Amino acid sequence: MFAFLRKNQILLSSCFCLLLSLYILTAAARGQLRNDPIGPLLLWVMRPLQIAAQATTNWIDEIQNSYSMLAGYKSENEKLRNRIQQLEVERNQLLEAQATNRRLQELLEFRSHLPSGTVTASIIANSGSSWFKSCLLDKGSADGVRKGMAVVTPLGVVGQVVAVTARTAKVLLLADPNNGVDVLVQRTRVRGIVSGSLDNGTILKYVKRSEDIQEGDRLVTSGFDGVFPKGIVVGTVIKVRKQTLGLFQHVEVMPAVSLARTEEVLIVKADGN
Amino acid sequence: MKLSLSFFVVGIMLMLLQTTFLHLLPLGPVVPDLILVLCVYWGLYHPTVGAALGSFLLGYSVDVVSSPILGLNAFAMSLVFLAVYLSSRSIWLHHPVVSSIVVLLASLVKGAALILVWTVFLSVDGFWTGAIRYILLEALVAAVLAPVVFALLRRGQAYLEQIRVTA
Repeated sequence: MFAFLRKNQILLSSCFCLLLSLYILTAAARGQLRNDPIGPLLLWVMRPLQIAAQATTNWIDEIQNSYSMLAGYKSENEKLRNRIQQLEVERNQLLEAQATNRRLQELLEFRSHLPSGTVTASIIANSGSSWFKSCLLDKGSADGVRKGMAVVTPLGVVGQVVAVTARTAKVLLLADPNNGVDVLVQRTRVRGIVSGSLDNGTILKYVKRSEDIQEGDRLVTSGFDGVFPKGIVVGTVIKVRKQTLGLFQHVEVMPAVSLARTEEVLIVKADGN
Repeated sequence: MKLSLSFFVVGIMLMLLQTTFLHLLPLGPVVPDLILVLCVYWGLYHPTVGAALGSFLLGYSVDVVSSPILGLNAFAMSLVFLAVYLSSRSIWLHHPVVSSIVVLLASLVKGAALILVWTVFLSVDGFWTGAIRYILLEALVAAVLAPVVFALLRRGQAYLEQIRVTA
């Protein structure tokens, strides 16, 4: 008997537990379980542990919530950063539009002083060679642009149209050695030709040694060449050198228009012809 | 005896975890049943009278803390222990995947026992659909956690046995 009990003690104790739990279940379900000795004891033992564990859990939960909140802030921060970037792009576009508007307004105002038949064009390409100073415009013969027309901005002379297609026009800039603009020194009305050079930048040629010309003098178009309307600024004298020998002075000029900062130009028919 | 007591303390700790910390896990309404994993472990690796009583007591503790009716989990855990103990004689179990499968099956046994007891003593309308979902989810979570809990328990058991041998 004892041997059987000993051999099957686990099985028997398990069955006992099962039966006990079934008895408890039945009694509890019928409301007959009034004196439960184990439950209160278990709760008495577990209560402080449960309180401590719950406090720890609450603490961890708080940390977790704080972390989630921080993560939320991080994500919000990321969103705001993206928004700022987007707004920066929009702001930039607006500033660009404003600047374009201002330039076009200046061009329009300037255009009203020019002969009729003036065409507004945008620069779409710069010179592809360091030997030539030229640019390409987005208007051509279809827009009324002809070879030989003057190209100007409100700031001054840009160059001259040297080749035209239906939709483009190539402009030889003032700084190109092959270009030449008939000019007057605004202060003394001395005449000369402004042209580019490969070694000295833009120069004023054919000014006699005896003529009065000083650094800072402004040069304007004379209108005698039949290309540029009279009175448009060409540049400013930055260096005057009277050579020992020779008929003419060496005058270096700073062009009034810098192509690097120019986007729109006016193509002008001289004398409105 | 000392080992059984230690295991019971571990069981109490697992129950504390189950009733507090494990609720923080993002598992929705499912709480991992570590007590069940422990009962399976007892049934497989430590089948003693103490373990049988421990299973009953731990199930009863769960009832005391959270069950609407006493004896519900005590019955289920005792049944799980018995089922695992009986089947452990024919299971060669050393692989974590096998332990997961055993826990999964044990969890299903527990679920079936709960359903049985519930329908007998606490008949509730619309119980079935929710119960089956819970049973499956609980079984899956317990099966996933089983290898880790088993490894920890095995290590703890080995440590305690080593202390006993040294003493």
